[in-house]
Amino acid sequence: MRLTIINGSPRGEASNTGALFSHFIRGFEETSGNRAEVLYIIKNLKTLNVLVDAFRTAEAVLLGFPLYVDTMPGSFKMFLEALEPLAGRDNNPPMGFLIQNGFPETYHNRFAARYMEKFAKRMGCRCFGSILKGGCEGLSIQPAFLTEKYFTYLYEIGKAFGERGVLDERLLEKLAQPEHLTSENIAQVVPFVNKALWDSQLEANGALEKNFDRPYQP
Amino acid sequence: MGIPDETAIAENYISVAIHSSLKKYGIRKDHASAETFRRRGMKIAIINGNPRESDQAFDGYLETLAASLGDMDHEVTVHGLRGMQIIPCRGCFDCWVKTPGICRFKDDAVELCKSYISSNFVVLASPVIMGYTSALLKNAMDRLIPLIHPYLRDEHGEVHHLPRYDAYPLMGLLLSPEPSTDREDVEIITDIYRRACINVMSELKFVEFSEKPAREVANAINNN
Repeated sequence: MRLTIINGSPRGEASNTGALFSHFIRGFEETSGNRAEVLYIIKNLKTLNVLVDAFRTAEAVLLGFPLYVDTMPGSFKMFLEALEPLAGRDNNPPMGFLIQNGFPETYHNRFAARYMEKFAKRMGCRCFGSILKGGCEGLSIQPAFLTEKYFTYLYEIGKAFGERGVLDERLLEKLAQPEHLTSENIAQVVPFVNKALWDSQLEANGALEKNFDRPYQP
Repeated sequence: MGIPDETAIAENYISVAIHSSLKKYGIRKDHASAETFRRRGMKIAIINGNPRESDQAFDGYLETLAASLGDMDHEVTVHGLRGMQIIPCRGCFDCWVKTPGICRFKDDAVELCKSYISSNFVVLASPVIMGYTSALLKNAMDRLIPLIHPYLRDEHGEVHHLPRYDAYPLMGLLLSPEPSTDREDVEIITDIYRRACINVMSELKFVEFSEKPAREVANAINNN
C-alpha cells in the first residue's frame, strides 16, 4: 500500500505530530510492500491544490493535526474546505486520523475525532479509524520512559496497519491512556507541567517576570 | 504585574485544585449578572467569519443584528474577518513563553484580541462549510490564545488553561447551514464550541441559525 500522510501541524516537520507519525511510519514500512509519503499543510498553505491532487490520487490517506482551541487548526480547516469539490466523488481514498493534544488527557481529542469521522462520511470515504493521544506538548522534554511507551505503541499500530490494513482497537486504547486523570493525578501533574514545561521556557527567554502580563487589559 | 512569590503560586495551585473554579479571578461573578449588563449596556463584538463575498445575505443579517443591539443601547463592533489580515497561528508559543500575552505577528489579530477581551459578549458568526464553521473564523480563534495563560488548572476534573485576564466575554454562535447540514453536524459544532469555551473562560449562551429573525437573536443576547 502507498499511504499518503498529511501532517497538519502548523509547526511542520519539527512538530509533535511529526514525531508521532515517524514511529507509525517506522512500523508501517517494516511490513512488506508498504510505503508512506508525508506532505505538510504548512508548506502548502498557498498551494493547497497540491494537497488536493495528492488526496485525489491517493490509495489511502492518514491526516494528522494537533488540537487547537479544541479542534483542528484553522490552517487544517483551509485544507478540508479545499477538498469540498471532491466530496461524494467515486473512488475517494479510505481515510484515518491522528489527533494529538497538549493536555495530559486524551479525552479532549474525542470531539475533533467525531467531527473528522463525520467529515470522512461527508467525503464518501471509508474511515479506518482515529489514533488519539493526549500529553503530547513538549515531547522532546518529557521523560523517556513515557515517550518510549507512546512511540512503541505507535510503531506497533503502524506495523499492524501495514499487515492488516486496520488500526488495532486494542493498541489504540492502550495508546490513549490516560483518557482521564483522577483529581490526585491532576494535582501532581499540573504543577509539574507548569514548572517543567512553561517556567523553564519563560526563564530561558528571560520572560518569567512578564509571565502574568495583561497587555490588552481594557 | 510582577512575579508572584512562590507562596502565591502555590496558593494558586491549591486554590485551582480545590475549588476548580474561577471564583478567585472574579470571572463568573463578573459575568453572571445579566441585570448589570442591562443597566450599563454591554460591549458586544460580532466576529463575521463569512468568507464569501457573494453571500451578502449573511453580512446583511449581521448588520441588522448589530443595529438591533445598538437600539438596545449596547455598544456593538462588527469585525469582518474577510477584510482583515490574520496570519494562521504557527504554534510558536511566543505569546506564552517569550512575550507573554503578545503574538509575534503584528497583524489585524491584535485589534481582534483587544476587542475580544474588552467585550462582555462575543457573537461568532459563520456559514457552515464542510460540517464546521469557516477556516476564516477558525484562524481568528487560533490567534486568540495570547488572551489565555499557558499554565494548566483543574476544571471539574479535567485539565484546562488558566485565565490571563480577570474577565472574558460570554459567547454566542450564529450559523447559516449548508445544504447537507443535519442534526448531528449541529451537535458536533455545539459540543466543540462548548469545549472551547472552557478554555476561553466563557460560556456558550446559544447556537442559532440565521433563519431566526435578527431581532430575536438580539433579544436572546440582551436577556442572557
